Amino acid sequence: MLSRAAWSLMLRKGGRGRREMHSPEAPARGEGKMPPYANWYAQRSYPMPEEPFCTELSAEQQALKEKEKGSWTQLSHAEKVALYRLQYHQTFAEMNRRSNEWKTVMGCVFFFCGFTALLIWWQRVYVYPPKPITLTDEWKAQQLQRMLDMKVNPVHGLASHWDYEKKEWKK
Amino acid sequence: MARLSHQKCTPDFHDKYGNAVLAGRTTFCIAVWTYVATQIGIEWTLSPVGRVIPKEWRD
Repeated sequence: MLSRAAWSLMLRKGGRGRREMHSPEAPARGEGKMPPYANWYAQRSYPMPEEPFCTELSAEQQALKEKEKGSWTQLSHAEKVALYRLQYHQTFAEMNRRSNEWKTVMGCVFFFCGFTALLIWWQRVYVYPPKPITLTDEWKAQQLQRMLDMKVNPVHGLASHWDYEKKEWKK
Repeated sequence: MARLSHQKCTPDFHDKYGNAVLAGRTTFCIAVWTYVATQIGIEWTLSPVGRVIPKEWRD
């Protein structure tokens, strides 16, 4: 099904993020854990993960890490951002962003509710017995007249809603 | 704030199809339930008050 293929693709992409070049696990390690079970995963309630996001660093990145051991005032803005991106997968703004997942969820909920209606339809056609005579419209009308003649529940109930002078339901 | 635009670059499944999924399936649900509730002869035993015109029973 199209949506299932797209769903699994979305899950896989979400795990790696869009930072393929900074991938924390070596590509050879195909059985690496996916978030939220990865060691670098952080969320608002767990902001300090166990491991940095990028553990295999290129030579350039390692040089940057060496520079980080010195005074931070010597780091340019771009270098600080690069160090952040080595350490963390996402910023707080990125990890806390809203998503449209609720639309898919509610869509599936309504789909299954609608499917239930189809099951009930099938049940009505193939399982229900024939309607008893007492539930036909003519019988119900006559039954109602008989109940009104008997003045059933005249205080607050059925007969109290019927206007006996005008012979119609009270407004 | 430049980072906020990052998610929009690669819309996920919910961004692409969420509206269509929600609208289509809601319509399906409402339509089929309306049909099942009214057209196929299910007895809901609603109150006759205001709905049924009584008919003479003594022949």
